[in-house]
Order: sequence, then C-alpha cells, then structure tokens
Amino acid sequence: MELFINFTLLALLAVTALGVLHVTNLFAAVMLAGIYSFLSAGLFTVMDAVDVAFTEAAVGAGISTVLMLATLALVGSKVTTPEFRIESISVKGRSRRPLLPIVVVVFTGGILAYGTLDMPGYGDPDNPVHQHVAPHYLEESGHEIGIPNVVTSVLASYRGYDTMGETTVVFTAAVGVMILLSALRRRDSYGEEAWGDEVIDDMDVGFKDAFGETMDPGLAGPEREGPEGGGG
Amino acid sequence: MFIVATIAVVVAMTFAMVRALLGPTVYDRVLAVNMFGTKTVLLIAVLGFLTGRPDFLDLALLYALINFIGTLAVLKFFEYGDLGRRVDSEGEA
Amino acid sequence: MGLFLDIVSWVLLLSGSFFAVVGALGVIRMPDLFTRLHAAGVTDTMGAGLILVGLMFQGGMSLVTVKLFMVLGFLWFSSPVSTYALSRATLASGQEPFWSEDMEIPDTARIPGMVYPVDATAEGD
Repeated sequence: MELFINFTLLALLAVTALGVLHVTNLFAAVMLAGIYSFLSAGLFTVMDAVDVAFTEAAVGAGISTVLMLATLALVGSKVTTPEFRIESISVKGRSRRPLLPIVVVVFTGGILAYGTLDMPGYGDPDNPVHQHVAPHYLEESGHEIGIPNVVTSVLASYRGYDTMGETTVVFTAAVGVMILLSALRRRDSYGEEAWGDEVIDDMDVGFKDAFGETMDPGLAGPEREGPEGGGG
Repeated sequence: MFIVATIAVVVAMTFAMVRALLGPTVYDRVLAVNMFGTKTVLLIAVLGFLTGRPDFLDLALLYALINFIGTLAVLKFFEYGDLGRRVDSEGEA
Repeated sequence: MGLFLDIVSWVLLLSGSFFAVVGALGVIRMPDLFTRLHAAGVTDTMGAGLILVGLMFQGGMSLVTVKLFMVLGFLWFSSPVSTYALSRATLASGQEPFWSEDMEIPDTARIPGMVYPVDATAEGD
C-alpha cells in the first residue's frame, strides 16, 4: 500500500513538472507549481516528516504562489517566444543536432543512480548517520531539556539557530507580500493603466504606508488624504 | 476500508490534475488547484488512519486554511490585476 | 459495538469515496466552468463530509475526533466561499456561462450591468 501511494504521488509529481514546462500561459504555470507544492507536501507526510510538510504547505502552496501571482499581475502573463531557435550546430563544417549534451546528462544520471545502490536502506536504525548525534539527542533530551517530544527539543533547543533562520525567511516573505499588496491597492484606486513612474510612485507610497517613512524624501508622491484613503 | 478510501481520493486527485493540465481558461486551473488542496486534506486524514498514526490531523487543518486563503488571494489578484481591469477599462461592468 | 461502528464506518467511507470519484469525473467531463464548479462542490461537501464522518466513527471519543470535526467544519464553511469567489471572478472577467435560449430570468436574479443573451434575442425580434 505504501508502495502504491509513493508511486502514484511521484508519478503525479513528474506529470506536473512536465506540465509546468509545457503550458505557455504563466498563470497556468503558477497554478501547476502550487499543485507541485501540495504533492511534495503529501510525499513528506508519507515519509513521516510532518514539520517539513507544514513548512512546504505554508511556503510553497501559500506564499510562493501568491508572490508569483503578484509579480505576474505587475509584469504580464504572456511568455515571449525566443527570437531564434537552435536547429542544428555546425561543428567542423558539418551540421548536426546537439546530441552530446543529452548523452552526457543521461550518462551522469545513470552513474549517480548506480551510486545510490550502495547506500544503506532508508530509515535503517543501523545507518552510520544515526550513530553520531541521534543517540545523544534521544537519550539526553529527557533530562537535559525536559520536553517530552524529542522533535520539539531538537528544533527549539539543540538546533535553535536553524529554526531562527527559517522564521526569518518566512517573515521576510510575509513582509514582501504585504508591500506588494499595498502597492497594488494604491494603483487600483487611481484607476490608470500607466506603468513606469506610476508604479514607482505607488511602490513608494506603499512603503510609506507600511513603514511610516518614504525611501527618498525628495520623491513626492501624489497627494492623498490619509494612509487608508484607497480601499477599493 | 481505508485502502478503498485512499484509492478513491488518489483517483480524485488525478482527475483534478487532468483538469489543471487541460483547462482552457485560467479559472479552470484555479478550480483544479482548489479541489486538489481539499483532496490533499482528505488524503492526509485517511493516510493517518491507514498507518495507525492519526496525529497528522493538525497538518490537514493547516492545509485547509492555506488552500482557502491561497484561492481567495489568487482570485483577488485576478480581479484587480491585469485580467480584470483590462475588461473594466473597455466599458464592460 | 465495535462491529457496529465498523459497519457504519464502512458504509460512510464507501459512499464518500463514491461521491469523491463521481465528482472528480464530473470535473473532467462537464462542458463549462460553472458546471465544473458544481461537480467540485459535490466532492467538497458529500465526498469530504462522508469520508470524515466515517473516520470520526473510527477515532472514537478522543482528540482525533475533535480535530476531524474541526477540519470538516472548516471545509464546509470555506468551500462555498471559494466557489462563490471563483464564479464572481469568472463573470467579472467577461466569461459567460452556457445560457439556454428561452430562459426566464427574474429581476431579483439579474446581475447589474450584465447583458443576457435572452434580452439580446428578445430585442432583436
């Protein structure tokens, strides 16, 4: 049963990745990336890594999708076709298709897959990686930290700096989304479609609204009655 | 019985993905992603009972929240962003 | 008592699985976005509801059942809001559903500012 679930989720993951490459509308690619994030979070859950699945859901399917959509709403959603296409490469006077890169890639991938056959089994308690700090965490966490859950004591105490770094990353993402959202709300209240200076003025106004001071005191924004004057 | 429910939920996820890949308009894809999120919630709940560890339900609750907020944020951008405003400026309501 | 709970869980899980698969099949085969919304709603209400209630009977009187109840409550509250927001955004972008030719649309159901094909054909006569 585990094999069936793992196989199905990995197959759907591959199909989603191919779909992201295939679609030309960028909004559709962002939606498929959201599905990719849900699938990988499901895989993490099947592998018993619940905290990683939490982070993947919150960052991948929530914040990352919204941030990419904010970018697309400012930039535009059509994929520009390249001006030229590599049909063939002339090498030493003869033109042939680029076979060498794909041969190199397949060969390297095959060598790497062959190398994984020597690795110890997944989750085996006799693994070398489980003999170093893991026994110390499991044995000493009870009377050193005092929390019944070993995962919490590892995350919050033994590896506290890692957790602080992750929290900083998520906080930065949230601040970025807030700035983008406030800029879009100001632009909508003006009712114009001009890009360029309008966007810079709006971003400056959004920054002022969020932090109470402008980036450049000499850059005067449009006159408004107050920070909540918009609000579509 | 959990095996039947798991297979049914995985089949529903596959169909949602087919709609996400096929859907001619963007809103079809938003619908597919929303449905995929709720199926993921169901899959986590059923998998928890299948493996005998139903302690993952906090994760299912979080997914339900994230999916809901994400869908509403996506639709808000579609309404006030590039697509919706261009239609508004042409004179339609 | 255990056997009775198992039978009830079996029935609920099987019917929930049936609704989930049928609704997902409807999402593929339906012709229009709005009909697909209805099919997805079937999976969110009946599919998720029956499956989660069936799991609640397996969980017994414990914290797991309370969490399942919270998940179900949140799904049932948030899914109609998502459906409404999606249909409103689709209509605002100009995409119209498949109307039939001779519908009677009452005045309370009209969306202000929207042109219905029924009115257009009626005025054209």
